[in-house]
Amino acid sequence: MAMLKTILGNLLRPSRTRAPADMPVVPPTYRGALTHDAGRCTACGTCAFVCAPKAIHFTQDPGISVSWHFFIGQCSFCGLCEQNCPTRAIHLRADVPGSTNSAGGDGLRLESVIHLQPCTRCGAAHVPLPAATMDALWAAGADEAERGYCPDCRRWAASARLRTAFTPDGAVAEGGRHDR
Amino acid sequence: MPYSFPLGPYHPALEEPFKVKVQCKGEVIESATVEVGFSYRGIELLAQKRNWVEVITLIERVCGICSNTHAMTFCLAAETIAGIELPKRAAHIRTIIAELERLHSHLLWAGVGAEDIGFHSLFMEVFTLRERVMDTLEAISGNRVNYGMNCIGGVLRDIPDPAAHLPALDALAKGLGEVVIPTFTQNPTALARTRGVGRLSREQAVEWAVVGPVARASGLDIDVRKDQPYLSYADLGFESVVRPEGDVQARVVVRALEMMESVRLIREALLSLPPGPLRATQGLPEIPAGEATIRTEAPRGEAFYYVASEGGASPARVKIRTPSFVNIPAIEPMVMGQPLADLSIIQASVDPCISCTDR
Repeated sequence: MAMLKTILGNLLRPSRTRAPADMPVVPPTYRGALTHDAGRCTACGTCAFVCAPKAIHFTQDPGISVSWHFFIGQCSFCGLCEQNCPTRAIHLRADVPGSTNSAGGDGLRLESVIHLQPCTRCGAAHVPLPAATMDALWAAGADEAERGYCPDCRRWAASARLRTAFTPDGAVAEGGRHDR
Repeated sequence: MPYSFPLGPYHPALEEPFKVKVQCKGEVIESATVEVGFSYRGIELLAQKRNWVEVITLIERVCGICSNTHAMTFCLAAETIAGIELPKRAAHIRTIIAELERLHSHLLWAGVGAEDIGFHSLFMEVFTLRERVMDTLEAISGNRVNYGMNCIGGVLRDIPDPAAHLPALDALAKGLGEVVIPTFTQNPTALARTRGVGRLSREQAVEWAVVGPVARASGLDIDVRKDQPYLSYADLGFESVVRPEGDVQARVVVRALEMMESVRLIREALLSLPPGPLRATQGLPEIPAGEATIRTEAPRGEAFYYVASEGGASPARVKIRTPSFVNIPAIEPMVMGQPLADLSIIQASVDPCISCTDR
C-alpha cells in the first residue's frame, strides 16, 4: 500500500531530476579552487606545514624572490591553508569548482612570486610585510622609517627603543648593527 | 555435491573490495570465510609521519562515509592528552555533524540494502531523502564528504543560522516516517527478503563481539553514546534502539529507528546551540607527551582510538579499530544454513565499510 501511495504521489509531482537552473545554493563555506595573493603573503610557510597531501611548496631564488607553488592535483580541499594563514593570503573561492577533470594540466599549477625587498637600513633582502599588516602595526604611531626594515632591523629598532626608555640620556650606540 | 563459491573481491553488490568464500551444498551455504585487506593503505604508519594538523586531514580519509567520526575521535584523543576542554558550542556542532553523518550513512545503507533485495524504487526514495542530508552537510561544512570541521580544541566552522536547517529535518522525518520505515517493515517484498534471514543470536553476537546496530539488533544494548556519553549526548538525552530478533529485518529496523532518534538529536542540538567560542585554543596545536584511548559511536558501531604522543610535532602512535573490523567476521555465522541468494543482503546488513576495515 505504501508503494501505491508513493506511485500516486509521484504521478502528481513534477520531475525530481533537477534542472540546471535549479541547483542547490553553493554555501559560502564551499571550498573551491585556491587563490593566492602575493601582496599579502609573508612566505612564513604555515600553509605548506598544514598541507597533508603536500600540494603547496615554496622555492627560493636567493636574494631576489620566494615563490609559492600549488598543484591542484594533490589538493584535498580541506581548507586548512586558508584557515591557518596568518595574513589571509590564501582563499578558497566559492564560485569555482574544486575538482576539475584534467588535474595534470599546466593551467592547474599556480605559482606566485613574492619579490624580496632590500632593507632600508642594512640592505638585506627580505619579504616585506603585507600593506594591511603594516598599517595595523604602524597605526600605533611607530617610526615611519621602520616600514622598510627587515625583521632583524625591526627587532634591533624595537630593542633600541627599549634601551632608550631605560637610559633616557639617549646613549644608543648607532654602530649596534646585527650580525648577518 | 558441495562446491565452493568465491564472491568478490570485486564485488557485485558493494563498491569496495572484500571477499566471501562460501562452501555450498546445493543452494544452501554450509560455511563461509571472509577475507579483507584488499585496499590497505597504511594510514596508521602514515599518521606517525604527519604533524598534528596534517594528521586530521589524513585520518578523515580513513573512511569515505563516516569521515567525521574518525577526525572527531582523533581530535578528542589529542584534546584528552593536552587537557583541552572543548567549548560547549563546539561540542554541540560536533554532535550535529556526527548525527547528520549517521543519518546519511544509514540512508546510504538503506539504499544499498534496498538495491540488494532488488527493490530499486525504494532505493530511489531513500537516495532522494539522503540528498537532503547531504545538502545540509554541504551548507554547514562546505563539502559533501570530507567536512573538515574538526581541529584540535574545537571546530573550524560555525552554524550561524541553526533554524535554517530545520525544514530539511522536517522533510526527512516525514520521508522516513511515511515512506522508508513503512516500506521496510510492511511491504511484502521487503519482508520476504529480510525477515528471519541471516540470524545472529544474542550469544553469537557476544561471541563474535559485534558492535553498533548489528549488536543492538541481536538484543545487546550497547551504545557508547549511552554507556559513556561524550560531546553533548548527556545534555541532549539519548535513547538506544534495541531489537531482540537478530535477523536482517531487525538490523533494518534498528537503523531506521536510530535515524528518527538522530533527527530528534539534531533538532534539539540546533535549537539549543549555546553561544561561545568555537575553539579552545588558537594557532597550531601543541600536544604534550601522553596517551589516550577514546571510544565514540560511529554510524556502524564503536570506533576505538589509541593515540600516543611523545611531545613532538607528530603523534607517536595512532591505533584505529573501526566498527566494521569486528562486524565483518560475523558474516560467517550469519550465512550458515542460508540460501546462496541471500548472501548479498546478509553481508550488506552488516553495513561493511571496507576502507575502514583495511585502513
